[in-house]
Order: sequence, then structure tokens, then C-alpha cells
Amino acid sequence: MASRVKRAGVDRRTVLKGMGAAGAVGVLGFPAVLRAQVKEIKIGSIQPMTGPLAAIGKTTRQGNQLAVDHVNAAGGIKSMGGAKLTLVPGDTQYKPEVARAETERLMREGAHVLVGAFDSGTINAMIQAIKQATKPIPLMIDIGAADQLTQQGSKYVFRSFVTTQTLGRKGIEYMLEMFKISGVTPKRAVLLHVTDLFGQVQKDRTLEWHKKLNAPFEFVEIIAYPTTTQDLSTEVAKAKAAKPDLLLAVTRLNDAILLVQEMYKQRVEVQAIMGPGNPGFYHPNFSKTLGKLAEYTLDNVPWYNPKSALTQKVAADYEKRFGEQLTTDSGWAYQGVMVVADILERAGSTDPDKFVEAGRKTNIKDHVTSGGNIQFSENGDNIGASTAMIQIRDGRARVVLPKETAETQLVYPVPKLWERG
Amino acid sequence: MSLYVQAIVNGFLVGGVYSLMALGLSLIFGVMRVINFAHGDMMVWGMYLSYWLFVTAGVDPYLSILVTGSAVFLLGAAVQKGLVNRILDAPHEMQILLMLGVALVLENVALMVWGPDPRRVSTTYALSTFWLGPIVFDLPKVATFGLALALALGLYLFLKKTDLGRMIRAASDNQIGALLVGTDILKVFTLAFGIGAACVGAAGSLMTPFLPFSPSTGLFFTVTSFNIVIIGGMGSFLGAFVGGLLVGMSESLGAVILVPSLKEIVSFVLLVLILLFRPQGLLGSGR
Repeated sequence: MASRVKRAGVDRRTVLKGMGAAGAVGVLGFPAVLRAQVKEIKIGSIQPMTGPLAAIGKTTRQGNQLAVDHVNAAGGIKSMGGAKLTLVPGDTQYKPEVARAETERLMREGAHVLVGAFDSGTINAMIQAIKQATKPIPLMIDIGAADQLTQQGSKYVFRSFVTTQTLGRKGIEYMLEMFKISGVTPKRAVLLHVTDLFGQVQKDRTLEWHKKLNAPFEFVEIIAYPTTTQDLSTEVAKAKAAKPDLLLAVTRLNDAILLVQEMYKQRVEVQAIMGPGNPGFYHPNFSKTLGKLAEYTLDNVPWYNPKSALTQKVAADYEKRFGEQLTTDSGWAYQGVMVVADILERAGSTDPDKFVEAGRKTNIKDHVTSGGNIQFSENGDNIGASTAMIQIRDGRARVVLPKETAETQLVYPVPKLWERG
Repeated sequence: MSLYVQAIVNGFLVGGVYSLMALGLSLIFGVMRVINFAHGDMMVWGMYLSYWLFVTAGVDPYLSILVTGSAVFLLGAAVQKGLVNRILDAPHEMQILLMLGVALVLENVALMVWGPDPRRVSTTYALSTFWLGPIVFDLPKVATFGLALALALGLYLFLKKTDLGRMIRAASDNQIGALLVGTDILKVFTLAFGIGAACVGAAGSLMTPFLPFSPSTGLFFTVTSFNIVIIGGMGSFLGAFVGGLLVGMSESLGAVILVPSLKEIVSFVLLVLILLFRPQGLLGSGR
């Protein structure tokens, strides 16, 4: 067979040319048919599925998955002939170098858009991979707050989440409001924080806005500790020695549990344990593990709007399917994919540049999260994104501020840890 | 001042468990010359077993060390018999790869079986403390320290006084000599790996009352044990013990004197100093 082809003078180049011509005819002659062939849009969901953030990765993946299922159940992307979304999984292991390799792998395997990846340090590595790719694809940061992520000059990077700038400002604003409502003002505060990229930036923004807004308390001690820590007894002893009225903490999940446990043991009693933007306190596992000790913990977080009908439906769906409360992680991960779907619908194509163009024109009014309309700034930040102050009550995180969306009344100062029985 | 005393107390109590972990690693290395990179993950399996016994049957973790110790003993012995025995003569990098592989498998099986959520064994006394003046003592940590000490002492007596112990020490001191006097070396190896694993499995159980854990917890403890063993002296019993206390205290004091974010650096600086000035370790025999 092969020799016959050769004799007939058909070499590989001719075959390729012929195929190219046939392809051109196809495009010109039957554009509708070709377009309908994009049956599947691959969304790479890169999350910390193993390693120290695995518990969080599980919830963010669940959020991504629920959104994909909702979009598909509603008929897929209609402008692309009802193309269905498929989630292609990736795992950062909470390691920048792995996140980078996973990004490259998913791009190679034909993912059209990426979402992820909860931890700012790892997202930073993903952005480098996208910037250096010959065929970059868009990244929608569903969760990841460090300001600099969207300031690196890549037009393919969008963030539907809030920035640490917003987190820092809202955190202090809500605190001032809380002091006003309760008539109790702390004088001395201690700030504990982890030393990963998010922890560092969140600390800086908190201090920055503390100064800008002239908050009435003073930071008497700032204690940084490594993310890998398995023991916080000395850190808490140090905090206790500073005699704080208020304890602010930026933690992950495991250390959040260690922290409160240790405060109870060492009888550190404060007006409140509060996150100025803390991914540990709202996690369902925090209140499940600590029970009464988790109660009344306050956290300024990108939350969802509990008063919106859409949110209530999504939250109920989520809880029914996964058996836990919708939180920041699952809620914003859900939102990230929904924004991607909205952009794809308007772009009518999986072409990265068309995606970027449509992305800039995004204006979503009805959505699940806290804050105003979702619109993207020139560098890809969601200008509408905002936060809420939540408090753990009866094992659930409930909104206490802003007043318009509050689910329950704020308790401040909180009952002593030691007296909760 | 009381802050420093508190830091020393905390460090000392944590150091006790570190010692028990490191003893296991040191024993395995001393006999087989193989570094058990799955050490921390074997510990995590001990933790999960304790957790499981606690939630299903209400067995106190301090009692379940008997079960977890034996179970992780079997795990260690199986790893030795099935895997390590085959590569005893292979170059070091091969052994390291194999043990890293075992670590990966153990961690990810734990992830599949137990899920990623952190677990805590909430015994009634988990949060109990007592006070001596301004210094707080964490009751479970004190109990853990005491039991770790007792287990270490038991291991010491076993190695010194029993025939099996003597065989293990003989194999560790001089393999060919041990072979010549008729020791079944492979059997001793299996036993030694099992005992080393049992130590760390028991250490895991002992820590569950005060340490929330997840499948990824293991790596930190593998690195810490390794660090301790080098500081104390590879294969030295007393070295591993003293090294554990030293690392526990240096981390705790480092957090007070320097900043907590540098606390792990203190023990690694200690490691570098030891490697520079006393490469055989504090109490190593300088082979």
C-alpha cells in the first residue's frame, strides 16, 4: 500500500495540503456544522486537593462542580449550540511548583479556561505559567486575594474574588461599626498570622487600613508563625503576655483549630476572636471540630448574600448534595464557574482573546455572593466584590454585618471561652 | 520571665513525643542503614487508628496505643519483609526513592479512606490544664510525655536485657559478626523495622488528644524526626532521646526569643552547626 502511494507521487506534504484545502472548504461551506462540533468546553479546576489545604480543596471543587452541573442542566452554553461544560481536575498540593506544572499540563490537554486555586502563592505560579505559554488560556481566580495577582500585566487573568485591599478596608470598617453598636471599644489588640503569601499581604493590609481609618485600638504584638506549625502553645503564651482586649488572626484551617484550643487551655479571654479576613474560621470543619469553643468567633469574609433568592436556592442545593453549609470556599468557587459560563455565553467562542474581550464587558446583577454587580476592571479585578462580617452561632456561620443582609444580631463582647461549659 | 519558663515547659513536653518518634527512626537506621521516609505517615496511620477506635468503640487513645502500636508494627514489618529486604544492597538513592514511594502511598491511602478534613480526638480531658503559679500545664501533654518516657525506657530495657534486643544490637553493631554467630539477620531486620514503626505509631496515638491531624500531617514529623536523629547522632539511642527534647525546646524558645515564624529555623540552624562541627551527632559514636 505504502509503495503504491509513493509511486503515485503522493507524499506527506501533498496529503497535508489537500487536507488543508478540504478544511478550508469545510469552514467556508459549512460554518454552522463546524461550530456545533464544540460539544464540550473543558474547564480546568485547579485546587489544593492534597496536602495541608486538602480539606479546603474538597469544598472549592464541590463548588466548581455544582456550578458546572447547574449550567449543563440549564442547557449548556446556548450561543455555542448548547455546548456542555466539563470539569478537568488539577491539584496544586499547596505547592507553587506543582501548581505551575498542573497549569501547563491542563493547557496541553486542551483545557479552554482555568479556575482556581484558593491560595495566592500557588496562583502566582499559575499566572507565570500562563504568561510564558505560547497559547495562553484565560484564568478565572475563583478564590485568591493577594492584590498583586492581577497586577502582572497578563490580560488573561480575571478575578471574581475580592482583593486583600478590600478585605483589609472592610475588616477595619466593620470593626468600627461593631464598637459603635456595642459601645465597647478595645484598647489593645494582638494580630497572629501565618507566613504564606496571603497571610503576609493580609497582615499588611490590615495594618494599613488600621492606620488609615484611625482605629481606636493599638497593636501591642504581631505574631507570625509558619504554615506547617503543629503547636501554637508558645505563640498563644506570647499573645497572652501582651494582655490583649481583642485577638485578630489570619490562619488556615488546622491552625485555626489549634489556636482556639490553645486559647481555651491558657485562659486567654478577649472581647472577641476575629479574623480580619481569615480562611479558617468560617470552614464548616472549624465549628464541627471545636463545638462550643468555635461559637461567637467573628470573621470578615467574602460571603454570599443570604437574602437573595438565587443564593438561597444554590445554598439549599449545595447543602442537600454535600451535607454541609455553603461558605466562602464553596460559594465563591461556584460563582467563579458561573462567571466563566456567562462570559462564554457572550463570547460565543472558546477563543481566548474573544473570552478576554467579552470578560471586560461583564455585568452580572443577579449572583450569589456579597457585594454589587460583577464587573471587571482593566486589570481583571471584580470591582463589585465585597465582604460580610459573619459570626459562628449554633454551629453555623451567620451574617451580622452589613445590617441590610444580617441574619442575626451581633454578640460583642463575646462570652468567655472558659465559661461555656 | 514566666513566658520563658512557659516556653521551656511547652518545648519539653512536646520534645518527649519527638524523642519517641526519633527513637523509632534511629533504630531502623541503626540496624538496616535505611532511612524511613514514611516515618511521619506511619505515625499518621497510628493517629487515624486511635481516632477510629475512639469514635467507634470509645477506646481512650492512651489505651489504644496497644492496638495502634501492634498494627503499625505489622505495617512496618510488612514494609521491611516485602520491600526493604529486596533493596538492602541497592545504592542509597534507590532506598530513598522506595521509602518516599511508601510515604506517598500511605498518605494518599489515608486521604482516600479518611478524607482531607482535620480530625480531633475529643476526649473529656482533651482541654484540661493545671496551673503551677503563672505556668500552665497541658494535662494531655503531660500524660503523653510520661507515657512516651515510659515507652522509651521499655524499649531501652528490651534492647539491653533481652536476647532479641541483643540480637538487634549485634546486627546494628556488626552485621557480618552477627551472621557468623548464627543470627537470622533478615528476621532481625523485620523485627527492628516493626519496632521502629511501632514507636512512631504509638507516638501518633499519644499525640491525638492535643493535636488535630489530617493525612498531610506526616511530612512535618518525618522531617522533624530526621532532623532530631542527625542532631542526636544516627543510630544512637540516647542521642535520639536527647535530640528530641533539644529540638522541642529550641523551637519553643526560638518562638519567644526570635519570632515564631523563625521557630523551625532554630532547629535547622542547630542541625547545620552539628553537621559542621560534630558530624557524627551529639552522642553518635563517630563511625
